[in-house]
Amino acid sequence: MKISAGLPTGVSAALFDSARRRRRLEARLSGLLEERGFAEVLLPILDYFEPYRPLLTGRRLEQLYRFVDRDGQLLVLRGDFTPMLARLLAPHLDELELPLRLYYRGDVVRHQPLRPGRMREYSQLGAELLGGDEAEADEGMLTLFLDLLLEARGAEGDALSGTGAGSQPEGRCTDSESEAERTGEDAALRVVLGAAGALDEALLAAGEQEASDLALRIASRDRAAARRAGLAEVVERGYPSDLSVLGEAAGAVSELVALRDRLAAAYRSRGIEIEVDLAEFAAAALDRRIGVAAGPRGYYDGLMFAAYAPGTALALGVGGRYDRVFRSLSGDCSAVGFSFGLDLLLELGAAEARS
Amino acid sequence: MIAFGLPKGRNLGPARAALSAAGLNLDGLGSSRLRQRFPDQYVLETPVEVLLLKDWDLPLYVEHGIVDCAIVGSDVLEETQPDVFRPLQLRDGRSRLSLIAETPGLPKRSGQLRAATRYPAWAARLLAERNLHVEVIHLTSSIELGPLLDLTDVAVDIVQTGGTLRAHDLHEVEVLAEVAPTFVVNRASFHAHRRRLSRLLGALEEREAGDD
Repeated sequence: MKISAGLPTGVSAALFDSARRRRRLEARLSGLLEERGFAEVLLPILDYFEPYRPLLTGRRLEQLYRFVDRDGQLLVLRGDFTPMLARLLAPHLDELELPLRLYYRGDVVRHQPLRPGRMREYSQLGAELLGGDEAEADEGMLTLFLDLLLEARGAEGDALSGTGAGSQPEGRCTDSESEAERTGEDAALRVVLGAAGALDEALLAAGEQEASDLALRIASRDRAAARRAGLAEVVERGYPSDLSVLGEAAGAVSELVALRDRLAAAYRSRGIEIEVDLAEFAAAALDRRIGVAAGPRGYYDGLMFAAYAPGTALALGVGGRYDRVFRSLSGDCSAVGFSFGLDLLLELGAAEARS
Repeated sequence: MIAFGLPKGRNLGPARAALSAAGLNLDGLGSSRLRQRFPDQYVLETPVEVLLLKDWDLPLYVEHGIVDCAIVGSDVLEETQPDVFRPLQLRDGRSRLSLIAETPGLPKRSGQLRAATRYPAWAARLLAERNLHVEVIHLTSSIELGPLLDLTDVAVDIVQTGGTLRAHDLHEVEVLAEVAPTFVVNRASFHAHRRRLSRLLGALEEREAGDD
């Protein structure tokens, strides 16, 4: 039988220079994480399927590669680090000294539709903070997320130019664009903040049957649907000027805006624009109340964030608070974390140049 | 600069008219050049580059971020399901996806019906929602020939004026979905150009409302 020289759909090999670039990026990001007191954990690629039933929502569960091994056990290939870490740590919370700072790196595999930049096997690097004061932990982990983005861009800048390039790519701003640059319009990186469930009350006002469809439409920035739901400003500017329309979530969004304000000036000058955008996460948390499968970000239950770069099709990294994962494992522990797609970060320099 | 992808086909006219009415200066836009640059756009405060591309290719260009946004038929979006934002639909250039047969109702068959369409995935979803279990045959053009030449029992295709149906003595059995030129935006581009695109989308909405 002739053996194909190709690889299965959605997987690729990193050879020679691309392998060197990935390892170099990993080393820089790991170095920063170690400096900040995070300890590396190495997790297996195989696990039992059963523990993930209560942790993952419909689509993410379906995306797991699962099979019966020779012992008759239903196993899965690692599709996500965070739930695996949570399920391993939850039974031992009493023995752990909190707060606990962990990071990981490695490949995950998911059977998902191929999209630009989205493979079925890809490399992640992420960090988790368990325990500690929640507000401090949220701000600390968001700051770490932003600093890792800058570190990644610095690494790619070095690789592209052969010099120690700064955080702002050269030659991007012209006189005619200075106003846009000042307002952050042309900032190379964008980080959007949201709060899981922030729109739930407003969405459910349309009725439980309609709420799920409405959430998806608002996540798709459908202006007509948002206007009908009284949420036009959410798709136009990210959040309503009158937060009271959000009901009980108004306080959380007010804190989110304050968090954005504290960080925005410092990071804008370094090329990252931070915005509150509730529409981005509109469909992330409805499942809590009405049992709707919430999609890939379904396990978050507080602060959420995602990073984008011009010319990239997917978020470079996503993160947020996920206390509910531990609660569903009968554990009581606050937790916040994030992960980056390393392949997407490696594309960053090329995407910025293209844009 | 913001890069627009515009469709070469039936949606080019409505797309161009809507963008011009919303304040974009696209004077000189012609179909002979793939890539054209238009400076001095007061609505966006940045130059615009327009790429004329085939309708079916546009979602991919937007997903990849090669163009920041595009106007593309919702029929193509429903079939290809790209991961893009869809902030609004245009009023001009609307049509409908319909079930078409040689008889006013569905043909009677003891077995499974066969349907010709250029939208195999979308048609299968819409027909399944109606509890119609139909074998879908993918054709790329002249869909009406499916039932006329007995390749299939019915066709699922776009109907604009109904002229083609009348010319071939075909019947529009049921409207399955509305189709509209849709403004789509790349995820990252939406965040990068949020204020500029919001201005343009607001102007487009005003223009659409003014058409009432």
